[in-house]
Amino acid sequence: MKKISQITFTSLALVLLILSPACRTKKQKVEPVVTPTETMAAPDIPPPPMPADTSVPEPKDFVEPEVTAETFPSDMEELNRYVQGKGYVRDAFYNYDEATLDDAAQAALTASANWLKGKEGAGYSLLVEGHCDERGTEQYNLALGDKRANSAKDYLVTLGVDAGRIRTVSYGEERPFEEGHDDSSWGQNRRAHLVLVR
Amino acid sequence: MKKPNLQSVVALSIATAITVSVHAQTDITTTMTAGQAAQIVRLAVPFPELKPPTAPAPALVDTGKVRAGFFGPLTRDIAYSGIFALAALPPSVPVTPELLKRVEAQFYLQLNVWTEGEEYVVEARLSDQSGASQLKKRYRGPEAALARTAHMLANDLMRTFNNRPGVFLSQIAFASNRGGNWEIWLMDWDGANQRQITRHGALSILPSWSPDNERMVYTSFARGTSDMYIINRRGGGRMRINSGLALNTSATFSPVSNDIAFVGSVRGNPDIYLIKDDGSNLRRLTTTTSIESTPEWSPNGRQIAFTSGRAGTPQIYVMDAEGTNVRRISYDGNWNDDAVFSPDGEKVAYTSRVNGRFQIRVANLITGESSIIAGEGSNEQPTWSPDGQWIAFQSDRKGRRWQVFRMRADGNDLLQLTFDGENKEPDWSKKPE
Repeated sequence: MKKISQITFTSLALVLLILSPACRTKKQKVEPVVTPTETMAAPDIPPPPMPADTSVPEPKDFVEPEVTAETFPSDMEELNRYVQGKGYVRDAFYNYDEATLDDAAQAALTASANWLKGKEGAGYSLLVEGHCDERGTEQYNLALGDKRANSAKDYLVTLGVDAGRIRTVSYGEERPFEEGHDDSSWGQNRRAHLVLVR
Repeated sequence: MKKPNLQSVVALSIATAITVSVHAQTDITTTMTAGQAAQIVRLAVPFPELKPPTAPAPALVDTGKVRAGFFGPLTRDIAYSGIFALAALPPSVPVTPELLKRVEAQFYLQLNVWTEGEEYVVEARLSDQSGASQLKKRYRGPEAALARTAHMLANDLMRTFNNRPGVFLSQIAFASNRGGNWEIWLMDWDGANQRQITRHGALSILPSWSPDNERMVYTSFARGTSDMYIINRRGGGRMRINSGLALNTSATFSPVSNDIAFVGSVRGNPDIYLIKDDGSNLRRLTTTTSIESTPEWSPNGRQIAFTSGRAGTPQIYVMDAEGTNVRRISYDGNWNDDAVFSPDGEKVAYTSRVNGRFQIRVANLITGESSIIAGEGSNEQPTWSPDGQWIAFQSDRKGRRWQVFRMRADGNDLLQLTFDGENKEPDWSKKPE
């Protein structure tokens, strides 16, 4: 749009005149042909430079304006799906009966901490949910989930996220992400799940 | 283990001519005479006459309601009592002394059921082979109380022969998700009369009875965090106990004081704590950096069993109620949890992993011996009946969903108690009644 506005009406008209045969063969909007009027001092205007070869480059589609500001969903549930999908906020996964963070878990939390400290994440608080797979017992797993949630919280705090922004809760094995009874499901269910809250 | 003791008590009670006083509307004190020292008492219990003993019926009584609501529960209680055997009576034959002799019935329970207005009246008369009356009681209540009447009568029969009540009026609290959310529910000992107690509309789990059977303490996520709540057995009087800690799980009333033991956590360090039931006087009992969980009081309130990961895997420990004198009691397997003392304090039942599956293990604290008493699937969260004869637990043996089951403490007479939705974390009422 910007480019077009910079072109004077006259030169636009001339260009259109020159290009019009080519344009008609394209599936672009056909602009009405404008005939120069007498008030336009056509002879005073230097002729538009002609391309060296006579073949006219094919016109391209307009380039869509680029979005520079990201729109975040206002619904918190959608927002959490969005930031998890984008990888801004990432859950930490644990080994069986463990609450310590391996390299992958530390990397996930580092990414999450960076986003939480950035201008997009700074406005949110965080709920860290501790989860366990079904292979343990329920009561012990509630305690294990608490240890997991806090190990994730502590790491986020060491990375500079304000401790006052982070709350923890343990769901033990009460709310599995995957209902399956195999290694893959169990792996998915042993996690500290990071949830943005207002 | 308990069974021979029970039977010898029965024999002893009968032989020494006990006097039993009972508390009901019509109350006739009876005397058991010597000479009926059989270990199992054979009892003839024909279907009730649907009229008062000496008058025509004032109104028509629904046979089906009496059978389903009263006679069924009564005969099942008697059959499961452990001290009675039901004599096989031919149907629709008048009960005569000759018939009672032929079926070798030592006692005859004659029942009359009739209605007066909205109320059902049940009269029960127990007589011995000579026809001498041993017990006569009359119960009165609405139709909805027919099953309760059956359990009261079964308890009175137990008292007559055993000088202590049966388990038939006890209740089992549990968590169920049948309404969408996990909430606390209650049922009778035989699985009947299941009703919802909490209505948080949020994850609510791990119910545990007070020693007087009037209240339960449990954990709910109603506020987004896990909190401890107390509620009465009818669903009223709910209050939150604010410990100021995280977790607030596995809460359990002291049998002898107003303390509650529970798992609290500070900065990801779950430990066993005590708090008064009004939320005051928080005390920490364990101080390790490992996970401590699942406290359970001994019947005399002097000890607390709990689970700890201090040795690398979850194992059962016992400590004094002040947190001192900690000793490990489980060495079998790499995951043990959910320890519960038997009512006599001699045994601990707990969840124990064997070959990758959880099983109910009963360990004798005196001899140190232990044995596995469950079967298929995963079996967790045992709870003792108040008379120590039964254990209820959760099992996923019926298709990967938790259901509550009941069995004798030796593993016999398995019975599934729940079927609707998923059901778990049974806790049997504490006080015999």
